[in-house]
Amino acid sequence: MSPLSACADSASEIIKKVENNLNGKTAVIVLSMMVKTKRTERTIKMESYSIGKDKSFIKILYPGKDKGITFLKIDNSMWQYVPRIEKTIKIPASMMLQSWMGSDFSNDDLVKESSISEDYNQRLLEETDEEYQIELLPTENSAVVWGKIIMSVSKKYYLPTRVQYFDEDGILIRELTYSEVKPFGSRFYPTRWLMLPKETEKEANKTIIEISRAVFDTEVDESYFSKRALRRYSK
Amino acid sequence: MLLRLALRNITAHKKSSSITALLIAIMTVLLVFSSAWMDGSHNTMIQNSVEIYPGYIQITGKEFRNNPSYDHLIFDAATIELELAENNDIAWFGPRFESFVLFAGEDKAVGGMLTGIDPEKEEHLSRLSASLEKGEYLGAGDTNQIYIGYELSRRLKLDVGNEVAFIGSGADYSFAADKFKIKGIFQTGLFDFDASTAFVAKDYFDQIMAAENYATHFIVLPKQPGQAEELAVTIASSIGPEYQVASWNQVMAGLVKAMKLDSVFGYITLGIIFIVIFFVIMIYSFLAVFARIREIGILRAIGTTPKQVLTLLLLESSLLAFISVLIGGVIGGAVAYYFHFHPIVFAGMEEQFKQYGLAVSAMPTAFMPLVILRDMAVIFVLSVLSTLYPILKINRFRPVEAIHHV
Repeated sequence: MSPLSACADSASEIIKKVENNLNGKTAVIVLSMMVKTKRTERTIKMESYSIGKDKSFIKILYPGKDKGITFLKIDNSMWQYVPRIEKTIKIPASMMLQSWMGSDFSNDDLVKESSISEDYNQRLLEETDEEYQIELLPTENSAVVWGKIIMSVSKKYYLPTRVQYFDEDGILIRELTYSEVKPFGSRFYPTRWLMLPKETEKEANKTIIEISRAVFDTEVDESYFSKRALRRYSK
Repeated sequence: MLLRLALRNITAHKKSSSITALLIAIMTVLLVFSSAWMDGSHNTMIQNSVEIYPGYIQITGKEFRNNPSYDHLIFDAATIELELAENNDIAWFGPRFESFVLFAGEDKAVGGMLTGIDPEKEEHLSRLSASLEKGEYLGAGDTNQIYIGYELSRRLKLDVGNEVAFIGSGADYSFAADKFKIKGIFQTGLFDFDASTAFVAKDYFDQIMAAENYATHFIVLPKQPGQAEELAVTIASSIGPEYQVASWNQVMAGLVKAMKLDSVFGYITLGIIFIVIFFVIMIYSFLAVFARIREIGILRAIGTTPKQVLTLLLLESSLLAFISVLIGGVIGGAVAYYFHFHPIVFAGMEEQFKQYGLAVSAMPTAFMPLVILRDMAVIFVLSVLSTLYPILKINRFRPVEAIHHV
């Protein structure tokens, strides 16, 4: 085996480990999301249930006006239920790049973020005492948003510390920083996620996610992951 | 004396005079009508596109045109309103708030533009109300009632009276959603527009979208649409540098350019035809003048100076050209005038027009006396020029040569 392929191998192993650590077998997480723009600042609180990386269910808890809005993601599809209009809406592909709940995350982030081990080729760029730096380039057949992703991974936890997203022209579009790793049962998990858009017109924007509670690898009721659940668990 | 001689000569050579006159007159009719047609159809196209929705003048936040995000809104609509109300050159103005949302019908969701408008003002600012296809147009006090494009309603499989929901984000980036009842369906004829837009009364829109006192646009209808550019400048200086004021020729720069290019091609085609006619007249004058070479020789022999001969011949050609251009101008002008009030209708061509974003099939010509005079002048100069070479050429003969010329 050549040294290069050995590297590629370990890079993909690192990414797999990271994905497992971020998603767990199952996860129940309570988090708040602070969205700051030039003019406004809002906090949204929500609860998320997930199995692996393919199924997840999110329910908005706060603010009152948005309470009970639910999201369901199964594989690459996403539905949303809005109590005010009593409707379940499938988010069409054309809307995937739109902002999610006004934040700097897109719908696509919720749906596809976790498939980086499948849609991208990994290559180890650099290794320091604390971190690996891994370059992710889209595979030929994958329909992904980013032209390149560079992920820094902490050696201690096998968790990402910083992820940089580039467009097809190699321009840095946004940067996601994970910090404040805390233990949850047998797992370590970053509890503060900071998303900074790097485009000039969004300079003043940022989104901070803070995780207040997380339970991993317990039984999560399968009934959360059906379209009927959207309405049922909205209350 | 020379004038009478010239007149006599024109009437004496009936055949050659009338053919030259006919050529010049046809050329004049052609140019006058083509100009009227090109100007008329371009004006119609532009006017239609402007009046359907974009409006003659658009006021936006300074950066909004380049980057239409909620960060570049008009954040103080009330002040703008006060400023505009004071301007006497404005016939109507009104705010709009455009927002990209997801519309949801019974089982289908479609992305599109949800816009808050002032229904009464909008009646004067655009053709939305006139494009009503089914149901009713919006009223001032309407709450959750929506006026929706025909294609959009079809894609959502909805009809008047049905319910349509939307999800989107409010001006404060918060989540926004509501249900509307379809009050009316419109069809402007612009497919993309009809397939993606819907309107609600702005007062209600402002509540659900947290857009109180905000707007993405103010649309201004000048009392004199032809003065839109000047008015835009005046408005810009009165509301200050935080805003951008664009007249229709900036907003629809693409269309304006396309029309200009179309005119250029039109004039090139005409130019080629005229070059051909120019040489036909020149050759014809050559033959006509040379047929009279003995006559001219005799004139010289009896003491007429070359200068007098030149003047005589030029006078003849100018007179002939003048009369022909006059006839052609009157005929061309009459045709342009007729089609100005009785537009040419391209029945069955609507589909092709729509591809260019045009919702018209009737094209009136433009009847503009100044342009007609310009065209007549152009043809006059051209026809006199075309006889110049033969005249100068013949004047170089010596009398004896001329008399003996065969």
